[in-house]
Amino acid sequence: MEPFVFFGGKGGVGKTTVSCAYARKCADAGVETLVVSTDPAHSVSDVFDQQFGDSPEPVAGIDGLSALEIDPDDEVTAHLDEIRTRLSDQVSASMVNEINKQLEMAHQTPGAYESALFDRFVDVMRDSDPYDRIVFDTAPTGSTLRLLGLPEFLESWVERLMYKRRQSIDLFEKAAIGNNEPRRVMDGDPVLQRLQERKEFFEFAGGALREDAAFFLVLNPDQLSVNETERAIADMNQQDLGVRGLIANKLTPAPDDDEDGRGARYLRDRIETEQQRLDHVRGSLSPPLLAEIETRTREVKGDLLGAVAEELAVPVDAEEPTFV
Amino acid sequence: MELAERIDRYLDTLDEWLRGLYHGMISHPAYEKIEKEAEDLEDAFMLACFPDAFGIPSPVSYYTAELLPYLEAEFESWERRLWDRNTMLERKGQQYHF
Repeated sequence: MEPFVFFGGKGGVGKTTVSCAYARKCADAGVETLVVSTDPAHSVSDVFDQQFGDSPEPVAGIDGLSALEIDPDDEVTAHLDEIRTRLSDQVSASMVNEINKQLEMAHQTPGAYESALFDRFVDVMRDSDPYDRIVFDTAPTGSTLRLLGLPEFLESWVERLMYKRRQSIDLFEKAAIGNNEPRRVMDGDPVLQRLQERKEFFEFAGGALREDAAFFLVLNPDQLSVNETERAIADMNQQDLGVRGLIANKLTPAPDDDEDGRGARYLRDRIETEQQRLDHVRGSLSPPLLAEIETRTREVKGDLLGAVAEELAVPVDAEEPTFV
Repeated sequence: MELAERIDRYLDTLDEWLRGLYHGMISHPAYEKIEKEAEDLEDAFMLACFPDAFGIPSPVSYYTAELLPYLEAEFESWERRLWDRNTMLERKGQQYHF
């Protein structure tokens, strides 16, 4: 299967648990694995009882498993600082203030978080060499879909900018009649160069997501979650990113046959409605239902994670990346 | 000898006049026009890069901010042109000398 595996779904359905369990399953099978959390509300640290940061760190007690948590806040600040440094090298002191204002504004726009997150996870895919498999524990459905839809959209935007820039430089060159020095020159224009770099970056991201990534959605057996999953599948198909499979989490456990108290009747009733919804999922949604994980009374970590991992019928073998 | 000198001086004056005439009638308005058009296109580029300067949120301004260190000259003249541009008609009209 593809080297990059994404787990998505509605908030609170257990994406982190499932992705950590899957990462552990891969590691146990001898596949060098990295689990990456792109959800600003991180919980990978909680699952493994260990604090993770911006660079991959091995998970204590599990061989072949590392984890990494992306903090979009840090990424935005780093991006801002990097541009500021270049700014002070290149721009005259009188203009720095003016441009600084613009710069700060750009980093407070609503898209900045998403862009920063996107940049970072593309970087992770690009430096995926030491790992055979990278598991992405993504943010809840909406923002993930936007994140994965970005490359194509941004690529065409950058192309448009490059076209405009080329046109104006071309005219400036033409305006330099006789021995006049043109105000801008096409050759070695740093702006075009940076735009080109950006374009290649988006091309890479789009290619890696289409060629080397598999997507799975986690859902709970309740109506809201099933509905949202249906919408997410439609959205992702529209973006040419097929959902490979579904994982049902937090299923109600069945009581013993001889029990007939109020609790047992409640559980049986609950299981019946859940089974109806799962039948609907099996019947009318196109990706197959790959796992049905019962709810646990205790936090899923440690040995419990291993138990959950066994219930996941998601293949662990990792192919070599074809695009990256 | 005197005649040759006078012819030379005459030719020099003629050359200067002709060059001036050509510059004033053809080359100057031409490059001015092209340059203004180029500036207009550059303004459109800057606006597409930094629409948030006008309060329009843009999905790419996070990325285009990377261009700012290289756009000093453009940024300054963009702002200046925005200040003294009243109407599109006036801007286009500046390119003609009646």
